[in-house]
Amino acid sequence: MSFRPCWRCFLRASDLSTSIWQPSPARLSASAAPFSTSTSSLTNASADRSTAFRAKVFNLKKEKPKNDVRAKRPAPGERKAYRKRIILSNTNALPIYGMEDFTVENMCKQESKGMVLGIPGNNVDQLRAVEAFKPTQAWGMFRRPGMLVRNETVEYAKLLEELQSQGKSLRRVLVGERGSGKSVMVLQAMTMAFLKGWTVINIPEAQELIIGHYDYAPLSGSSPLLFIQKSYTARLLSQISRSNPQLETLRLSSTPPSNFPIPIPANISLARLAGLGASDPEIAWPVFQLLISELTLPNSSIAADDQKRPPLLFTLDSLANAMKDQTAYMTASFKPIHAHDLTLLKTFMDYLSGASPLPNGGLILAATSASNPPPNPSLDLALAKLETHSASQSSAPSPDPYNPSPATPNPFYTYDQRVMDIFEGPNGGQVEVQRLPGLSKEEAKGLMEYWAKSGILRQDVDERLVGEKWSLSGGGIVGELERGCIRMRI
Amino acid sequence: MPPRLPFRRPLCSQLPVVAKVQPPLCLRLAPRRHITAEEKPLPETDGKGPGHDHSHLPHVSEEAAAIGKVTGEGGPDIEEQGTPVQEVLNRDEKAEEKKPEVLKEKPDSKVPTGVRTFSTMARQRSDALLAISQDSAIESPGHLFGLPELPLPSNGHMKYRYEPIVKQITGLIMKSGKLGVAQRNTAMILNHLRTASPPTINPNRPLIPGAPPASQLPLNPILYMTLAIDSVAPLFRIRAIRGAAGGGTALQIPVPLTIKQRRRQAFMWILASASKRRTRGSGRGGFAQKVAEELIAVVEGRSGVWDRRGGIHKLGIAARANLRIRRK
Repeated sequence: MSFRPCWRCFLRASDLSTSIWQPSPARLSASAAPFSTSTSSLTNASADRSTAFRAKVFNLKKEKPKNDVRAKRPAPGERKAYRKRIILSNTNALPIYGMEDFTVENMCKQESKGMVLGIPGNNVDQLRAVEAFKPTQAWGMFRRPGMLVRNETVEYAKLLEELQSQGKSLRRVLVGERGSGKSVMVLQAMTMAFLKGWTVINIPEAQELIIGHYDYAPLSGSSPLLFIQKSYTARLLSQISRSNPQLETLRLSSTPPSNFPIPIPANISLARLAGLGASDPEIAWPVFQLLISELTLPNSSIAADDQKRPPLLFTLDSLANAMKDQTAYMTASFKPIHAHDLTLLKTFMDYLSGASPLPNGGLILAATSASNPPPNPSLDLALAKLETHSASQSSAPSPDPYNPSPATPNPFYTYDQRVMDIFEGPNGGQVEVQRLPGLSKEEAKGLMEYWAKSGILRQDVDERLVGEKWSLSGGGIVGELERGCIRMRI
Repeated sequence: MPPRLPFRRPLCSQLPVVAKVQPPLCLRLAPRRHITAEEKPLPETDGKGPGHDHSHLPHVSEEAAAIGKVTGEGGPDIEEQGTPVQEVLNRDEKAEEKKPEVLKEKPDSKVPTGVRTFSTMARQRSDALLAISQDSAIESPGHLFGLPELPLPSNGHMKYRYEPIVKQITGLIMKSGKLGVAQRNTAMILNHLRTASPPTINPNRPLIPGAPPASQLPLNPILYMTLAIDSVAPLFRIRAIRGAAGGGTALQIPVPLTIKQRRRQAFMWILASASKRRTRGSGRGGFAQKVAEELIAVVEGRSGVWDRRGGIHKLGIAARANLRIRRK
């Protein structure tokens, strides 16, 4: 038997009749129609074998690993929510028996100075609703939220008492070093206002309003053109209605404007009104306007059977962001929008500058932020001027050694007149600037004793330790004291 | 040969007792001689203390002139030095009348006041003390902060101010030499342990004996972490000696580890295991959260690190046949 294999294709001679060198009918048909290759390649089994062969030998690239579908990907916003969550309790920390609560009586007592008082439970809910707690603060390390009564706290308690009894209003800006307790001072003012039944509106972080994370739209009929942020306004209204229970008893006393988008009953409560705006962003801005005009109606113009309007506390944190001349929002002609052209910030600035009065008294409180604020020479200059005007602060050293005279304009800077007008306008001179100093050693001692009693600071709090930590924290800068004792301690 | 003492006495007790208190060596060095123009004899001490009276020394400019003479660079001219004009004007009334116009002019109003608008002062040391009691000053006169209590605490030295295990794991966490970042991560791990709920201890995974009850662990996070690391720390490593077994296979020998080596191995396993965990939030706390959760998982017996330790110990038990124990 002779096997003469073909040297080229290693087929036996007997199979040569069916080898690829012999044209088969299928092949003939394929060559007859060269423009259509699909049928022949699909039907021919040998073609499949050849592709498999090719894939095995010549594909030297590594195959991509398939996506592991078992790992569940986090939902949009889930990771940020985890980062920004507010924890107000640590069940491991020891409860402090005999810790008093913050009340109207003890907050203005001199004896409370240097003590840590607990925030009452319903006030915690209100403060949480207005987003007064920040994730960077160490609330989550203790059994329940408590705060130190420092010298300025007592001053604020007396100030609020005075403003309420005399029906006066005050506009104030808090400045100070990073970690000196400006935001917590705003929180303390809000706690006092809640305890006294004031209406509290809080813009927790001005940066949220200017970085373009919320929708915006031009306000029709405004000149110069203003821009509204509907969903943020709705969120703010929801925050107002949840945190101010006294709005339930206040009734709408003026008739809404004729172009008000929805019909509303005449005697609607202000809480219900705010709730309407909170549920529908489309009508949020007109509702906010109506609400704030209602809250600032003079008590003399309100009917006798109606509830009197309480004083208003309007606060804003991170003021330098609210003063930016270029926000992330753009006009139709693609020019950046000034922060004061955003209606919510404009409302606050009108109260801060005194353009909008507070007839029933109240406090407008803005806090600057020293943690990565945008540079704003106009604000710095205006605040420095106001600070040097007040006699008590005239001998204070400049915080910046490279700028020994911050109250004089620098010729190399351009200043924003709109910002300067807020502080230097017709009523602007009355804005107060308060610089928060470090804690005194007695206050630092009280705070450190609270940490030790909670079981977080495991050391004897004696004179030596207090003195050491007080010095290392730059003279009682409370944020640094906290970092040195509990947060960044290893 | 004298019999060996079972232990050495501390060094301080071996020193002979001297009746006279001598000043320390640094103060007993001979005073340095200055180069002066005329070689004055060294002044006699008054016997009150070390050093000599500075009134016997030449004036600074005299000394500078002498140095200038030696080095050939000149120096201040002492002989022909003029008197300041203000001194002449002060002692001579006629000169006061005839002084030049420049001096007669009233001084410029822009005289520097010597007051800065900013502070250049460092914070005083005395600021650091609470003005509550002065007892310590009375107890030890001559010492600003009093004498330290003996024995000195183990963390009293600046370089050993952290717990040894904290220092070690901070170093193991550190990347690219960024110690500050590593310390922040360590602090965040400890804070996570402080705030997490107490662990439920698994009896199948015994922790090291002497551990406090689980409810007490979170408020002592360093102890919590030590307990986790020491409980999964392997007792030995397997050393493979090539060519010792013959036939091309390596001879495996268990080698005992020191406590530092054991902790290092355990923490490296924990780090490797933590890196496989899922980050829950964004931001910079993610690493610390993962490591802290792994530490809690170790204490609760859920972690895979226990299996790695078990594997090493199993190998070690098999390989102990390879040990050659010297018998007497």
